[in-house]
Amino acid sequence: MSRVARRRGGRPEPPLVCRWDLDKTYLRSEFETIRQLLRTAFERGEDKVDVPGVVELIKAIRDAAERRHQPCRTLFVSASPPQIGKAIRAKLDLDGVPYDGIVFKNQLQHLRPGKLRNLREHVGFKLVALLRGRLEEPPEARELLFGDDWESDSLIYSLYADVIARRVEGVRLERILRAVPVDPELVREVLALAARAAGADAIERVFINLERRTPPSIFRSFGQRVVPTFNYFQTACVLGGMGRLEPADVVRVGQALVGSAGYTPRRLENSLGDLVRRGHLPLRDAHALISPLRKAGLVPGPLRASGWRRVLDAVERLRERRRRVVGPSPEETAVDYEAILERLHTATPAEASGGPA
Amino acid sequence: MPTIAVDAMGGDLAPDEVVKGVAEVSLTTDIECLVVGDERRIQAVLEGVSYNPEHIAILHCADAIGMAEDPREAVRTRHDASLIVAVRAAADGRADAVVSAGNTGACVLACAKHFRLLRGIRRAALASVFPRRTEYAGQDRLALLIDAGATVRCEADELVQFALMGHAYARRISKVANPRVGLLNMGSEPMKGGDVLVEARRRLSELPQLNFVGNVEGNELVGGRADVIVCEGLLGNVVLKLIEGVSEIFHDLSSHAGEHKLAWRLGLRLLSQEIERLRELTDYAQYGGAPILGFDRLFLKCHGRSNARAIANAVKVAAKAVRDRVPAEIADALSSLR
Repeated sequence: MSRVARRRGGRPEPPLVCRWDLDKTYLRSEFETIRQLLRTAFERGEDKVDVPGVVELIKAIRDAAERRHQPCRTLFVSASPPQIGKAIRAKLDLDGVPYDGIVFKNQLQHLRPGKLRNLREHVGFKLVALLRGRLEEPPEARELLFGDDWESDSLIYSLYADVIARRVEGVRLERILRAVPVDPELVREVLALAARAAGADAIERVFINLERRTPPSIFRSFGQRVVPTFNYFQTACVLGGMGRLEPADVVRVGQALVGSAGYTPRRLENSLGDLVRRGHLPLRDAHALISPLRKAGLVPGPLRASGWRRVLDAVERLRERRRRVVGPSPEETAVDYEAILERLHTATPAEASGGPA
Repeated sequence: MPTIAVDAMGGDLAPDEVVKGVAEVSLTTDIECLVVGDERRIQAVLEGVSYNPEHIAILHCADAIGMAEDPREAVRTRHDASLIVAVRAAADGRADAVVSAGNTGACVLACAKHFRLLRGIRRAALASVFPRRTEYAGQDRLALLIDAGATVRCEADELVQFALMGHAYARRISKVANPRVGLLNMGSEPMKGGDVLVEARRRLSELPQLNFVGNVEGNELVGGRADVIVCEGLLGNVVLKLIEGVSEIFHDLSSHAGEHKLAWRLGLRLLSQEIERLRELTDYAQYGGAPILGFDRLFLKCHGRSNARAIANAVKVAAKAVRDRVPAEIADALSSLR
């Protein structure tokens, strides 16, 4: 399973950087109404609620990296104002989550005349924060990004990944940012930072927590790098498939969901089946996970074994057919940002709010 | 939570509307759906809508029985059809109930082939709800008609059993403590309707556990006199289709009347709220499916043109019937006859 370790042989692992969004990704924040927004702003650390499994997942990623003697940094980027930083830090401390930094969006700075639009503008802010963060890491650092389907995380993270990998640069990047539209001042800042930060193809995966249950097909245009997941057990399974987690780590996340979030073995089994059907977890990796999960009582026992077998057989047929139809892996196809933005700009408000931007 | 096997390929609008219905259920309840059918098509529909995969399992099968196929031949030969696989899944204990909008005859025959009739039951019955007037506050605005087409011709024994099954189902699902049971006939007098109906009436009136209100005539069907109306399948099916047809004519009239005269258009506008209420009342999509009763497992047959909402409601009704142990309730009711 530890493909990462195998691939790199005896050489030291490059550092792993995990960048997390806060609201709706780590925290179950509710700010659909003014009242909820105010409540969130004044909540104390102990009142804040984390998304089930996220704490164990963060710890598991760090522990797995540590076992491989790989430096691992956990960073949070939030569009919330720094004024709630105290409560956030208290919450992270309560959860025992080790982290290396939090970037907040300085909302007060945007209250200046002519800057009000920036209060709602996340693309420019987050890109700047990500690129600045990238410059602080060694060039060989690998990254995993975690966001949700409430704001524009899939777009921002994909753009960041392609900028870092030099797939999107210069005039095209500027055109995309203006089409979003990002504030001109931030466009200039992004372009300057991008020129300095661009280097290796460092972003391994972008995980999108489907908190709003946005249809997964919406994210297909971002390619296979973007993995929409319905719960953190699914995220852990994909990381297991990538070799970033061992089966025991995946079990640990599953146990957290069963132990404290009311999940049942059948729900976990169904989650795993869905992930394989959507093509985000190779069948052989799902096979590798099933035995330890069953041993831990996290998927139904021998009686359901034949059920799982049937699921796998069906999925194999499905994927085989897909391979024939789709042709090259989506990982090899470039993201067509112009088409994505065009679609978002022509979408109805309801469609746009359900989508990734 | 109960597991409901859903025939994804059955119905005029399958699999799209069926899968969308399942997706809707997965978002709002903890019911586990075992979706049976072509997994490629099912997955394609799922990924285009909001859903919660934690409550959805897919059981692949390549075949499906068409709505116009000969049911007997289809059930005999099409072992890998979605309907048959779903029924087998319930018979094997992998699901607690089945929901299908597919070929009605095939549904009944598949149940007869793979499920066991409850002890003492001679024939299964299809029970269906329809809207009616209420006579008192708190009365369910839906009445249950049994049989709606599973058993074409019946003996008196079978009608008595249908009455007990309908009584048990209404008690559990409609939450009517002591539902009023009527026998559909061509007159209210005890001697009306021929030997079978006369005998059935006599025996029903002798059952102390039933709140039997006697014969019910056609014009009383949509009144509140009886909560459960018993009849043979042929008659029941005609009645249901008649109600449906009248409802459709009304919808057509109300839609097109306004096109001809301004005064009618104004009148319709004034009545629009009431018309909408009537439309809701006669909308089968909100009632879920019709249960096939008499077997050890539950089967909910949905309208062939069921949309996502109808499927979702049927799945919820099936789960409720499982939770309320409807087959056991029916078995208990029938034991009193022995």
